[in-house]
Amino acid sequence: MRTSIRLLFCGALLAALAGCVSTPALTYQPSIDNTERLLSDRDKLDVGRFDAAAGVENRRLGMRGSSLNGGADGTFATYLKDALATELREAGRFQPMAATVVSGRLIENRMSAAGASQGKATLAADFVVTRGGEQVYTRTIRIENTWESSFIGAIAIPAAITGYSASVQKLLGELFADPEFRRATQTGAIAN
Amino acid sequence: MSMSFRITHAARLLALATMMIAGLSGCISMKSYVDPALPKAGKGDLVVAPDPKPVQVLFEFRSKGAANAAATSQIRPRVVAVAAESGLFKEIASAGEAPSGGVLKVMIDNVAITDNAAAKGFGTGLTFGLVGSMVTDGYVCTMTYTRDGKATETTVKHALHSTIGNKAGPEGLTPMTPADAVNVIMDQLIWNGLKDLSTKGAFE
Repeated sequence: MRTSIRLLFCGALLAALAGCVSTPALTYQPSIDNTERLLSDRDKLDVGRFDAAAGVENRRLGMRGSSLNGGADGTFATYLKDALATELREAGRFQPMAATVVSGRLIENRMSAAGASQGKATLAADFVVTRGGEQVYTRTIRIENTWESSFIGAIAIPAAITGYSASVQKLLGELFADPEFRRATQTGAIAN
Repeated sequence: MSMSFRITHAARLLALATMMIAGLSGCISMKSYVDPALPKAGKGDLVVAPDPKPVQVLFEFRSKGAANAAATSQIRPRVVAVAAESGLFKEIASAGEAPSGGVLKVMIDNVAITDNAAAKGFGTGLTFGLVGSMVTDGYVCTMTYTRDGKATETTVKHALHSTIGNKAGPEGLTPMTPADAVNVIMDQLIWNGLKDLSTKGAFE
């Protein structure tokens, strides 16, 4: 009996010290590289609906017993949507109700913070651009991002939180760098 | 088992648990010291153009080359504040709204330089190895000003020394909290970067 109580006490103590917490993703910050790419053009864009495909982890990503949660409504699809709006706003290209609208679907959203020296995220999304309701661009973009991590959770977890945000920057960077996306978002682009 | 033994045993367990919690919670004092090598710069050192233009400030903080959103969010206001105080610009434009002005791109990368600082190009004001538990962080600020297709760039480097526990700090330097020291370093990087750019005639 006494042993059971001790084990229970030790378990509770370790759980408390391990810091098993649930934390929201960092407020997204635009990347300088992305802003520079977007500044190359001036056409205004709106951001449409973003959701997640069935089976994709959209609300919680594990980080060594703790978890990372999504954006304003707790989903990673909304985090991606808000990140896109932030990038466009920074470059002066966001305009609600603009004729050209970028929307998307998260089709892969995985992160590993378990590595003793490296963390990794894999993200993929289907991006669609419409103008006046007509589709002018669609592409699936998939990225992998790695970051320096540690055996120590107190280092690995913050690194993973930062790493996820940087992964979204990278995903959007791939979109902005796509010449087809640039063409599709310029006024006068022809529907394909 | 006697009552006195039980109390002693319980006290030992409690003391052990307290020590464990104290150790794991990081109750260890850390002092930071701003490296003295980078000259202090301020508004009086800048070459102000006769007709200052608006500017849009783009900022990103990186850790060993990887974007660090939390630090970017925390430090961005300081960068914008120094740019505004400098008098080099007519106004700090809102995001994407400086068609008649320029774009000031500021990227600060935090790199570890405790080992072989000289080889990494840091002219720090300290000799490494004097303080047993001292670690040194390097900060590389790359600043680019672009207007009308003309880009001017400069790079400024700075260093932050930190000691943990009761170790003595570097002689002659004032101990600061890590947060205060980082703020001083960020400000000095921006002032020195603006000074370099203005000396190169970037804002004329």
